[in-house]
Amino acid sequence: MAIITLNYEYLERLTRTDKDTIIKALPMIGSDIERLEEDHADVEFFPDRTDLYSVEGVARAMRGFLGIETGLPEYPVHESDVSFSVDPGLAGIRPVLGSAVIRNLRFDDASIESVMALQEALHWAIGRGRSKVAIGVHDLSTVTPPFRYIASPRDRQFVPLDYTESMTMDQILAEHPKGKAYAGIVEHFDRFPLIIDANDQVLSFPPIINGELTRVTSATTDILLDVTGTDERAVQNTVAIICSAFAEAGGTIESVTIDGQKTPSLEPVERIIDCNECAELIGVPVTPESIVPLLEKMRFGAEPLEGSKVLVFVPCYRADIMHDWDIFEDVAIAYGFDRFPATLPPTFTIGTEDPASRLARVVSGIAIGLGYTEVMPFTLTNERVSYDQMQRPGSDAALTVLHPISIENTMVRTDLLPMLLEILQLNKHRELPQRIFTVGDVNERALTYQKVAGAAIHPAADFSEIYATVDALLRELGADTLTIAASDDPAFLAGRQGAIMNGSEKIGCFGELHPDVIVGFDLEHPVIGFEIDLRSFL
Amino acid sequence: MELTVNEKRLLAVLGEHGSTEASILADELSTDAAAVVQWAHLAAGRGLVQVNREVLEEYQLTEEGESYARDGLPERQVVESIDGEIPMGELSRHPLAKVAIGWMRKNNWITIDRGIAKKAEATPESPEELALRKIAAGGADPGDCGELKSRGLVTVHEEVRWIIEITPEGKKLLEAGIDLRPAVGTLSREQILSGSWRDEALRRYSLATPPRRIYPGKPHPYRQILDEVRNLLLEMGFSEFSGNIVQSVFWNFDALFQPQDHPAREMQDTFYLDLTSPLPDGWEKIRDMHEHGGGTSSTGWGGAWDKTKAEGSVLRTHSTALSIQYLAAHPEPPVKAFSLSRVYRRESIDPTHLAEFEQLEGIVMDEGVTFSHLLGFLKEFYHRMGFSDVRFRPAYFPYTEPSVEPEVWVDGLGWVELGGAGIFREEVTAPFGISYPVLAWGLGISRVAMLRLGLKDLRQLYKSDIDWIRNTPSYRRI
Repeated sequence: MAIITLNYEYLERLTRTDKDTIIKALPMIGSDIERLEEDHADVEFFPDRTDLYSVEGVARAMRGFLGIETGLPEYPVHESDVSFSVDPGLAGIRPVLGSAVIRNLRFDDASIESVMALQEALHWAIGRGRSKVAIGVHDLSTVTPPFRYIASPRDRQFVPLDYTESMTMDQILAEHPKGKAYAGIVEHFDRFPLIIDANDQVLSFPPIINGELTRVTSATTDILLDVTGTDERAVQNTVAIICSAFAEAGGTIESVTIDGQKTPSLEPVERIIDCNECAELIGVPVTPESIVPLLEKMRFGAEPLEGSKVLVFVPCYRADIMHDWDIFEDVAIAYGFDRFPATLPPTFTIGTEDPASRLARVVSGIAIGLGYTEVMPFTLTNERVSYDQMQRPGSDAALTVLHPISIENTMVRTDLLPMLLEILQLNKHRELPQRIFTVGDVNERALTYQKVAGAAIHPAADFSEIYATVDALLRELGADTLTIAASDDPAFLAGRQGAIMNGSEKIGCFGELHPDVIVGFDLEHPVIGFEIDLRSFL
Repeated sequence: MELTVNEKRLLAVLGEHGSTEASILADELSTDAAAVVQWAHLAAGRGLVQVNREVLEEYQLTEEGESYARDGLPERQVVESIDGEIPMGELSRHPLAKVAIGWMRKNNWITIDRGIAKKAEATPESPEELALRKIAAGGADPGDCGELKSRGLVTVHEEVRWIIEITPEGKKLLEAGIDLRPAVGTLSREQILSGSWRDEALRRYSLATPPRRIYPGKPHPYRQILDEVRNLLLEMGFSEFSGNIVQSVFWNFDALFQPQDHPAREMQDTFYLDLTSPLPDGWEKIRDMHEHGGGTSSTGWGGAWDKTKAEGSVLRTHSTALSIQYLAAHPEPPVKAFSLSRVYRRESIDPTHLAEFEQLEGIVMDEGVTFSHLLGFLKEFYHRMGFSDVRFRPAYFPYTEPSVEPEVWVDGLGWVELGGAGIFREEVTAPFGISYPVLAWGLGISRVAMLRLGLKDLRQLYKSDIDWIRNTPSYRRI
């Protein structure tokens, strides 16, 4: 989630109220206050509300929520003669362009900081790390329209931002910090995206880096915005969020004609909602009369239509409004979550336990009665512990993850006993005897099922103890059709082990662990153990 | 004062002697002296007797010592063989000369001058001879026998004697009379049935001695919290469901209207598997929903939905993957159900992050349920969990709208965010023919366990120290 720095002085100036009032109300529109500092607050906003990723956007929302200025904010787009052309060669590389001109800006440190932070947050939240959308902001006075967005040869040279020497685009990918960070997005293309002006001067190499030429300073008053990407909707949403933030900062928005098409559109989207549907969802009565002020508080425009219908004007920057329910949620927020009645519905239902849980509960009770203490090991493990240390061959059923975090966690367990031996190892210096068990999920390919396993360590642990334990467990489970057969599991000592059979199918094992297995787990006393597949008991 | 029966027996015997040696008492008590000393020390601790330790040295001649006692020490034998003067060369031919010459000189029995040994006029008895004589005669206190010991003619034995003496308190107690019946520890079947236990001196045990520590088999402390949660949901009329750890990308993400380029789907956050999962019938409805909103008021995400992405497999990242399948299988109201299942995130493991942990998810689908009811269920649930103060804040989750984050008040920590909730988006429910709202809430139970058990490290839940399990009480007042 994005953390936005709210400069108090700038926030108070834009919101037209004091910071304490704002900070108190912020969580009620959906945010987490991370830190309160001397001169600013760091606040986390949810990824759907990208319009709140700037001080300007927060101030706009807070003016509405606090009743200082409600209803639809309007952002007129004045005509300009700035135009852009897009090279068809960019199809398949980075074909989408959005643009606007913003004039009459008076930047100070707080507003420059806010705009830069907005760009970064949008690169992350909408831009998916610049691959889907990338933003460039240029000092318009340094370049000459019309502009061209082209697929350029890779050896084109220009001076990238923060550098003094001219570099080829290939060099930039190899050497410039931003080039190295984002090379993966473009390096596989024959040609690279490039924005140039009428005099063939370079503005930007999207999505990597701008040219030094068009650097924005506190002296900049007029800006050319370029937003490039692969997805039309995401690009237009980004243009709308940035333009409306600039407008809130005092700028005048002017159009840019892209291949004959006048952009951007900062017009609201119209939606007709039904108050009854809203009331049914949120559970408090809503009428056209009561809903209009709530919508306006959230900066929607709203006009009652006939019956329970209301025409809603969704501001251009609200990319998150995809469905009528998204508007209903805003109604609920405007109404105030703290004012909602919290009631239970009248429908009568009976709860039933999952049969697997019931079995696990009973098996645990038996194991505890036999003196065993429950442990709850991880389900992620590795082949070394599961098979090698048990002296067992690997299993085809083991499902390994494609990108493990560490060599310790490469697969989902197929057996429980190795996990118990690991826990005994961890508790090597604790008082003996130790008797532990676990009931839990194992995985065979895509199938999950339950097993129980137990292990005990103490100087007198032997086959007769574990045989008696398993016998008692099976008797308590009413397993009178199961039989015990000879077994040659290499994890156990020969002649001191048994297999639990359901007909001809082996469903469990028990015995004295092989001394090599004991030493392999760094243990020093006799260890006995059992493991049983619980499926046949369900 | 509760005397052991042995102390009583000792006192009774000692009373006749007043003061005597432990070995004598041992004979009379038919036991060994060590036992008597042990009992005496116990009684001494109560001031009834006094125990004195005496050490006696006893000397014994070695075989060589015995022969010299009979025949005289080598120096005596040699000096007696000299008459006046003798050249050293000749003297050293005597078989005992080697030992004797030094001692003769030391005793001033001879002097040596220019190779000639000259016998003194008198050769009085030496201290060694005196000591040897006394020891051979069985006399005590041989005085200076050090040289005999170093010459290997005598061995010294230390003998410890314990002298036990009754004190005036002991006498008083004895005069008052003591019960000499043996103390009975464990009662026998015979003693209980016959009633003979009435005639026995039943041992009275000291509460000052701490009991032996034993540890019962018990459920894991975390299991007790999980069971508590399970029980309270069953009490609230919810049915439990479970499912596979491995899920298709379709059920884990696509069916929940998570856009296909959502960051949470990336390899950095999710465990992917080399396994293709078939899509269920009707997957096209999910595609339509993603692409254009499939006939609802939704715009969808736009773009083209990629079927092959949905056929991938992951370790379930949330229990919602199970909830949506449960709803798809039970599309008719009312549904009140929950799952408590382990979920997987590709996180580096540290004290507060694990790659796997338990998640609770509750769902309610019914005609006429609303956001108000969701808040009602949350409040009821958290109250039953022991959190009396609950408040709600707006939140965002990709598959719910409206969404809410409950916060509970924890003394010492303040408001703590605990889980998330919301109403499933129509984009999630409509493709499965679910036509009523679905209230849903999820909760990382391990967070609750940390609060409850006061843990600083989440790993302790799964890689447990047995001493921690043994020492965590099973019961806690709610």
